[in-house]
Amino acid sequence: MTEVMTSESASSANGAPLYALSDVTRTYAKGGVAVNALRGVSLDIAQGETVSLEGPSGSGKTTLLQLLGALDVPTSGQIWFAGRNLENESDKVLTEIRSKEIGFVFQQFNLIPTLTADENVAIAMVPRESSREARTLRARELLTQVGLDHRFGHLPSRLSGGEQQRVAIARALANSPEVVIADEPTGNLDSSNAQEFMALLHDLQRRLGVTIIIATHDEEVASHTQRRIRLRDGAVVSDTKS
Amino acid sequence: MISFSYVWNELRRRIGRTLVTAIGLAAGVGLVMGIIGVSEGLSNAQTKALSPLGSVGTDIIVTRTVAPTLSTATTTTTTPPNGFGGGGGFGAGGGGGFFAGRGGSTLNSADAAALANANSSVITDLAKLGPAGTKFTHDFFVPGTLITFPSTAISDVAKIKGVASSVGALSLDALHETGTVPKITASIKTGGQTISATVKPPVLTPTQQSAERSCIQKVIQKQFGTGTTGSGGTSPTGGAGGGGFGGGAGFRFTGGSDSAISKCLTPAQKAYQQNVVIPERTVNEVLNPPTTNTATSTFTVASVDPTNTTSGLVTKAQLVKGTWLSTNASTANTQILVTTAYASQKGLKVGQTLAINAVNYKIVGLVNPTLTGDIADVYFSLSNLQSLSTNQNRVNEVLVSVANAKDVNSVAKAIRVALPGATVLTAASLADQVTGSLSNARKLANDLGGALALLILLAAFLIAGLLTLSSVSKRVREIGSLRAIGWSRGRVVRQIMAETLGIGVIGGVVGIGIGAAICLIIGAVGPALSVSSTGLAVGASSVSGLLHQTTTATVATTVHLSAPIRFLTIVIAFAGAVLGGVIAGAAGGWRAARLSPASALRDLG
Repeated sequence: MTEVMTSESASSANGAPLYALSDVTRTYAKGGVAVNALRGVSLDIAQGETVSLEGPSGSGKTTLLQLLGALDVPTSGQIWFAGRNLENESDKVLTEIRSKEIGFVFQQFNLIPTLTADENVAIAMVPRESSREARTLRARELLTQVGLDHRFGHLPSRLSGGEQQRVAIARALANSPEVVIADEPTGNLDSSNAQEFMALLHDLQRRLGVTIIIATHDEEVASHTQRRIRLRDGAVVSDTKS
Repeated sequence: MISFSYVWNELRRRIGRTLVTAIGLAAGVGLVMGIIGVSEGLSNAQTKALSPLGSVGTDIIVTRTVAPTLSTATTTTTTPPNGFGGGGGFGAGGGGGFFAGRGGSTLNSADAAALANANSSVITDLAKLGPAGTKFTHDFFVPGTLITFPSTAISDVAKIKGVASSVGALSLDALHETGTVPKITASIKTGGQTISATVKPPVLTPTQQSAERSCIQKVIQKQFGTGTTGSGGTSPTGGAGGGGFGGGAGFRFTGGSDSAISKCLTPAQKAYQQNVVIPERTVNEVLNPPTTNTATSTFTVASVDPTNTTSGLVTKAQLVKGTWLSTNASTANTQILVTTAYASQKGLKVGQTLAINAVNYKIVGLVNPTLTGDIADVYFSLSNLQSLSTNQNRVNEVLVSVANAKDVNSVAKAIRVALPGATVLTAASLADQVTGSLSNARKLANDLGGALALLILLAAFLIAGLLTLSSVSKRVREIGSLRAIGWSRGRVVRQIMAETLGIGVIGGVVGIGIGAAICLIIGAVGPALSVSSTGLAVGASSVSGLLHQTTTATVATTVHLSAPIRFLTIVIAFAGAVLGGVIAGAAGGWRAARLSPASALRDLG
């Protein structure tokens, strides 16, 4: 079944969506030419949902992810996150939001090459936890949860792609976020590791209740999400819930 | 809050980048440390070589030199002592004499006249040196441009507040002449001659006598008439004879009969009278001076007080061979000290003698005098040199020791007030006279050292900054990720600065090592720097100009350069490296701060 979801249908149980986007546009100046990456996107995302953003390259997936991840602000329109309008927030506030409430998983994993697995997880806690011991303890706990209890002291270069992505998931969960945003998380994984990754993500979602938003080209990955939003030319062309 | 484990891991796990950046800084601060060390070494060498007065127990030298213009304020007539090289008679007594108080900085006419007189005796009077063929040797002592003055100036200076001691000395030019008195010498005196001659008149025959007597009688009878003729007769030359004429009315002989009587003379008698005229003569003399083989050489002499071994133009500390002059005055008057340079030049050794004005002086010691100040070739005892140069109770230098080093300038000023016209030299002013590679190097260090050090440091900072910028540019993904996971811009900048600060610390430590190595190598190799100096007084000698020669006593010394390492240098080097780290961190941080997390992620695709 395919239907365009309304904001009311995406509301969480308490009636307040985690995200509420209203006529959001984002325009970049690229080589002196204005590029409309998003054209009037309006949608709501409820707490605990698993959402996939699909679409071809240039459809606006990454731009929408950046706005949802408080990495950027819209050119026009409004983005409400957990009851706060991100439109006019300062960099400091956006940083604070990212630190406390949003976790990121990237296609290239983006682990710091000079830090070990546990250090990579712990580094995300530096802004909020002053105790190095507490950070390390929490990092190892999370690595254990993703099945890397034997890889604490390994540098990323000594880990497989799947292991690196698990470390990235552990890092994304380090500050107990409300939402995890993943940009093509299986893009650099083989199918086996991709399946493992999705299984792990669902497990964590069930256990921790975090909202998961994934931008992907992978139909298999998208099929594992509760809700699939398709984009084309910067606009939502379909929003379906399985 | 900075993650030090992150900093540490960045430094050790990006060891290549860390070392390249650190070595860049280290090379910079090491070179700067070397430059500071060399500059310090040059400064030390200069202090040692260019501040010689301190090494001879002297802070100030007081002299009276010829000024370019002459004062017309005085008319005091002076009489210089006789003899060679006598000091001028100008002095304390006259209205405008030296140090008399109102002469100003220029010489008065009396000073100038005395100075000219003192230096004028260098012209050898060959006529006084003996007969032709006599070998002669002579030494002249002249004050050159350093005017002598009464020794009372020494006590005048001693009374000035802050003066620990004042010592008088003589510093003179010496001209050594040797040669042979030439064979051709002439003494021509014209005018005032008195010529006398004794001539025997021609003898007359009896016939001639009778004829002449008869002729004369006839002349007499013709002029005076007849009468009684007394006895006696006429002299052969006519005129009244010894007996005279008596009788009757008598008569008086008049000269009017001379031509008549002369007719009675014989032809021989007439010819005799005409030929007693001295014939005229023309005397031609060669007026060019005679050719001689006189050779002139010059050297400089100065005095020391044998009883004062710590203060003077040369001190006992500068004795390198032999002994000091005897404290016994009569013994000291036969002894001299010679500089090593002059001894080397003339092949002189301790124990040999040096003949000066036909007196053999024993060389009792070799001295290596200071580089500046009055450097002489030969040193006599003060009383001996005063006697030799007929400058009794006169000196031409006062060496002043100041009790407290910081008072040198104020004491110098007081001396100028107390002794108007005095030339007051301090160590600082003497340093200007020093030349040679040390002086050049010191000048170079002064002129370029600071700029060069700054340039090197800036280059090191630039290299470190560029390396850090490059590093940050390569870490866009990493920095973007940090920003994405909640690191603020400030935290990222601080983190990067902490890293570069760490690199700066490493660079500082390595740089100190490099700098220390440079300094130690310089100290071990000890590059030689030449220092040359001329005596302040004799170098400007008027005698030198007169003879178109240089009588300047020049001392060339080699100083080995060292580059001392001081704690302050280490601190400066370390601070420089840390500053370089901070500057590099600021550059990297500026680059990182400009990265928005969105841009970083977009770059990632």
